[in-house]
Amino acid sequence: MSSLPNPEPPAPRHSLRTEVLENRPVNRDGFVQEWPEVGMVAMESDFDPRPSLRIENGRIVEMDGLERADFDFLDQFIADHAIDVDAAEQAMALGPQQVARMLVDPNVSRTEVLRTARGLTPAALLETVKRMNIVEIMMGMQKMRARRTPANQAHCTSARDNPLQVAMEAAEASLRGFSELETTLGVVRYAPLVAIALQVGGQVGRGGRLTQCALEEATELDLGMRGITAYAETISVYGTESVFVDGDDTPWSKAFLAAAYASRGIKMRFTSGTGSEVQMGNAEGRSMLYLEIRCILVTKGAGVQGLQNGSISCIGVPGAVPGGIRAVAAENMIASMLDLECASGNDQSFSHSAMRRTSRLMPQIMAGTDFVCSGYSSTPNYDNMFAGSNVDAEDYDDWNAIQRDYQIDGGLQHVSEPEILAARSRAGQALQAVFAHLGLPAITDQEIETAVYAHGSNDLLPRDVLEDLKGAAAVMERGVTGLDLVKALHESGFTDIADNLLTVLRQRVSGDLLQTSAILDANLEPLSAVNDANDYAGPGTGYRPGGERWEQMKRLRHVTSAENPELEVQ
Amino acid sequence: MSLVVGVDIGNSTTEACAALITAEGVEFLGSGLVPTTGIKGTTANVDGVEAAVRAALRTSRLALPALQRVFVNEATPVISGLAMETITETLITESTMIGHDPRTPGGAGLGVGVTVAFGELDECSPGEKVIVVVPVGIDFAVVSKALNAALERGVDLRGAVLGNDDAVLVANRISCSIPIVDEVRLVSSVPLGMTAAVEVAAPGRTIRTLSNAYGLATVFELNADQTRAVSPVARALTGIRSAVVVRTPSGEVSDRHIPAGTLELGGETSTVRIDVGEGAEAIMAALARVTPMKDASGEAGTNVGGMLASVKENMADVSGVDLAEVRIGDLLAVDTFVPQEVRGGLAGEVALENAVALAAMVRTSHGPMQQVALAISQRLRREGAAEVEVVIGGVEAEMATRGALTTPGTDRPLVVLDLGGGSTDAALADRSGAISTVHVAGAGDLVTRLIASELGVERDVAEEIKQSPLAKAESFFHLRLEDGTVQFFEEPLPPEVFARVVVLSTDALVPIPVRHSVDRIRQVRRTAKQRVFVVNALRALKQIAPYRDLRQIGFVVLLGGSALDFEIPELIADALAPYGIVCGTGNVRGSEGPRNAVASGLVLSRS
Amino acid sequence: MNVLELREIGRAEKGARPDEVVLALSPGFATFFTKTIVDVPHSEVVRQILAGIEEQGVQARVIQVKARADLAAMAHTAARLSGSGIGIGVLARGTSMIHQKDLPRLSSLELFPQSPLMTPEVFRAIGRNAAQYAKGESPQPVPTLNDQMARPRWQAKAALLHLKECELLVKGAPPVEVEPVLTA
Repeated sequence: MSSLPNPEPPAPRHSLRTEVLENRPVNRDGFVQEWPEVGMVAMESDFDPRPSLRIENGRIVEMDGLERADFDFLDQFIADHAIDVDAAEQAMALGPQQVARMLVDPNVSRTEVLRTARGLTPAALLETVKRMNIVEIMMGMQKMRARRTPANQAHCTSARDNPLQVAMEAAEASLRGFSELETTLGVVRYAPLVAIALQVGGQVGRGGRLTQCALEEATELDLGMRGITAYAETISVYGTESVFVDGDDTPWSKAFLAAAYASRGIKMRFTSGTGSEVQMGNAEGRSMLYLEIRCILVTKGAGVQGLQNGSISCIGVPGAVPGGIRAVAAENMIASMLDLECASGNDQSFSHSAMRRTSRLMPQIMAGTDFVCSGYSSTPNYDNMFAGSNVDAEDYDDWNAIQRDYQIDGGLQHVSEPEILAARSRAGQALQAVFAHLGLPAITDQEIETAVYAHGSNDLLPRDVLEDLKGAAAVMERGVTGLDLVKALHESGFTDIADNLLTVLRQRVSGDLLQTSAILDANLEPLSAVNDANDYAGPGTGYRPGGERWEQMKRLRHVTSAENPELEVQ
Repeated sequence: MSLVVGVDIGNSTTEACAALITAEGVEFLGSGLVPTTGIKGTTANVDGVEAAVRAALRTSRLALPALQRVFVNEATPVISGLAMETITETLITESTMIGHDPRTPGGAGLGVGVTVAFGELDECSPGEKVIVVVPVGIDFAVVSKALNAALERGVDLRGAVLGNDDAVLVANRISCSIPIVDEVRLVSSVPLGMTAAVEVAAPGRTIRTLSNAYGLATVFELNADQTRAVSPVARALTGIRSAVVVRTPSGEVSDRHIPAGTLELGGETSTVRIDVGEGAEAIMAALARVTPMKDASGEAGTNVGGMLASVKENMADVSGVDLAEVRIGDLLAVDTFVPQEVRGGLAGEVALENAVALAAMVRTSHGPMQQVALAISQRLRREGAAEVEVVIGGVEAEMATRGALTTPGTDRPLVVLDLGGGSTDAALADRSGAISTVHVAGAGDLVTRLIASELGVERDVAEEIKQSPLAKAESFFHLRLEDGTVQFFEEPLPPEVFARVVVLSTDALVPIPVRHSVDRIRQVRRTAKQRVFVVNALRALKQIAPYRDLRQIGFVVLLGGSALDFEIPELIADALAPYGIVCGTGNVRGSEGPRNAVASGLVLSRS
Repeated sequence: MNVLELREIGRAEKGARPDEVVLALSPGFATFFTKTIVDVPHSEVVRQILAGIEEQGVQARVIQVKARADLAAMAHTAARLSGSGIGIGVLARGTSMIHQKDLPRLSSLELFPQSPLMTPEVFRAIGRNAAQYAKGESPQPVPTLNDQMARPRWQAKAALLHLKECELLVKGAPPVEVEPVLTA
């Protein structure tokens, strides 16, 4: 029973080149063979249903080869709420080849595609994208994206749940261009303080950034209703009945939650993505993309304005099968062709290889989506409490260079260090004042000083967690709301931040953030698919970074001056 | 007839009561309690005051516009600080001894031999008496095989010391029974080629030979002088199930006293110096000689110097008072112990080192109450109480006794004991109604600190332990409570509490992440409360009692957050019973419990 | 490398000894599969868990589940058959759980969800903790590890292993008691 190593047979000789290749980061990624029978396949499977549709008396009685009596609850929800019966017969008659051509043809308008898409069954949508290669999918995305101007979302989290860090990361992320800021927690009880910090930090400077805190559904809703956060995103839907039921949910319960948000004027979107069902062993023999299309249609049927998809936390599954990243790009595009806001993933650790990480985000950053990342880690990945993102704070300069190389707008820009330090410092002082005003555990000047210059939570002064958690509980007990934050900011002399926050809260009443793809622009006016509709119609049309924006994008950390090549452009 | 609200801004809570004042007298309506916002006595209190006033009016079913007057107390912030310093340390030199308590040693009995490295076992001759020392990382199967081979060859294997947690596994696989001690992290530092003894006691028992100085003398054939030298080893090994002692040329276990420095206590007429190392009792005796104390400081460059300086700095920060102006008004020293890893130990041995905990208290000057009152009236007027007038009421202590006297069954002479977080405050109302007060350092926060250090837990866990009784979840359907009784449940308990000691807090069972038993935690909790609250109750009463005679006090009414504690009131009442004092938790106005005394007193004094 | 053979003794019955822990192995464990997702041999997994239990002076029985590859169900089956009410479940890829008979099936005492992080040391600790629960002691939960880069490397392979193990299920077959035999 010795476990001392037995003498091993001599290893076969490898070339030095093999050794070099063997040690490349890409070989630490996992790749697997397809197995379509159980759903371990991206989008090309013989086991997916074929498109079919029969309507009787204005009601779908057969869909994708299944009689109404054999529908599961997803089929039923989709047939009754997601597919426009009036458009369906005509749309289905076009056939997938024709619909695919419409997506890439600049002569066919976005509106025309939308009219067709709303009449397609899940299998018809799948057959359509199966005919498209990655460039065609990107062309489709470029045209079908809801908002004309692309944008980006940041993750602002802290491995120590340090509210001061989160406030500063939010202010920096805002300055760098992110339109939405999302946080979550290691210790859930910290949530009220971190959500307050995010909200305050997001209003520093130009402000108007929309914030959210990913938590279990009830607390997330509570924080939203109090105005401590501005939108919600982590409401998950799944593509098979069994996975839905495992989570004690149905499409109807999710739709009900969506209505709760809408009733308070709070922006929200659902979340789904390829790979989750097969990951749980419940794919029912369907391809990943087919099941994701069902999720997209459930979102549409629930009347929600948008969807976060692009595999999200299951990216390791499509990322490991052939054609998987093509399917991920396709799922983003299908969300857009159904007129949903698309927050297109790129938000989870995806690969050990820097080349694959970049290639992963090309379809979204090149075509432009409503939120290219959902989100981009504004901290080093060790602080990212969403288990790491595809891109983090250390990739900022690379991202800006890519935008500049191709003249494509991923929503960000280079910002000089003094501006960043000033914004971080002001966010820290504002949060310090808010905490003092609300009687929360004090933030010292020394903490602020340290955090302004920090890279991540390892560089911070530790806080008294016990006192902070008591403070967090007090925030919930005392019923602190977004308006209390406005008051605190105002009375402490941070009137500009107070005004920005009040403007964000006012959107609740007008309901303008319920429009598809809504963000706030530099004047804190809503910018959405209503007043900034995508008008792409071929070369020379649609959104193209130009003018002031392009000048902004040309700036990098180091650009040699043409006037005096001994200097750099400031 | 006018609608008034009395407001008491405390260190941690702001309390309010609403009342109608008529020609016939006072009719109390609702009351409110909210956390204080900001430091007591500053304008940051306004938010808390507004919330408390609103709460009091809401429970009275009245609205702000009807409010006519608000009475606030004259707030004298008492700020407190804590510090702790260990004053002894245990030191093992030359790796003389391994005295940790692995959960599962192997075999049983005593074995004496010469220490031999595992790799060198092959070189031992038949008949050699051997204690084998096995490094971390060698599989138990490999170890057993090698030991069996040595035994086969006739090596007289007497005991084993293992790095891995493998003692039972090895004992079960070898052909003779020897004592085996395992989980010795730094096993590679065990001196080799030295005479050593390994002892393992049967389950549920403790070692007998190595923990006895004469046992060691017998094993190692020591003379009287040598025995005297090793007696600390024996002491360090008492009460454990397994141990190893190695005889090295000059190795020893020493109990070192850490020089902690001198404490200087300044009274009105004299100044007393006392070495902190002499312990709490000596410090408190010295303090009694200089009471009332004017200030205290520690010898510069020593631990106690740093300790008091940091307390003062902290107080200066909190109160906004200039550091040079901070004067420590009272101290409470408590002897405690801190489990600390022994220096030079090989297996993470832990010794309970002596420590002294100090609570210090500063009375600051009156806060800017006029400004606070002004801010409150502005705020309340803006919020709709157009007519409101804010009046600064009387002295806090007087208001507290007035409120406390509304407790049914009380009369003068009466002492109010306010058991807070940082300090314990007493106010006496004598037969004539004259008021005197005293503040002593040390209260709930010190109790938390003592529990945390003695059990080696985080402060939030200690806070939970302090507040509620304990139990152990013996199955998913029953708890064994700390008094030995059993509570059954219909629904299974949550998995995170299974098999653990839990605190029965009001809304949940909170698991305590320590190895200690219920009895041990309970004992630590109760003695911490004794040493702080009972000691301070007696200290405060002795200072305030007429003629310093406790028998002159008729009634003691306990107020403040800690008066709601589940056992502190009874601990204090037990201690006061011999003096013929009636002592209990207050019940202000017969309805409010130990809350709302000052707020109620403010209203009563104005009627 | 040791080879693990599971010799079937008969249908798994409920034990009477209060000092035993039952270890449930999944249908593919040491049958179709021979090692975990990170190549820890199944022989070593079983040897370490059993050593962890033995070191605490507690008895162990091993069963193989035939009809389920659902970790919670397996571990719960083990717990219900265990005289102490404490059971362990281990999937072929290494994912593990400590369960107790009175807990709801979907709950657990300790769960080790990330199969790529399961080392021989963790398996030893699982055996040790399960045995301590059986003795009524309060072990410190085995620290669960986390690795952000486990997703790109292992997520798909874990899914594949799970799907493959699901293929080996024998509908309705009762769990059998086995004797683990290790041969070099």
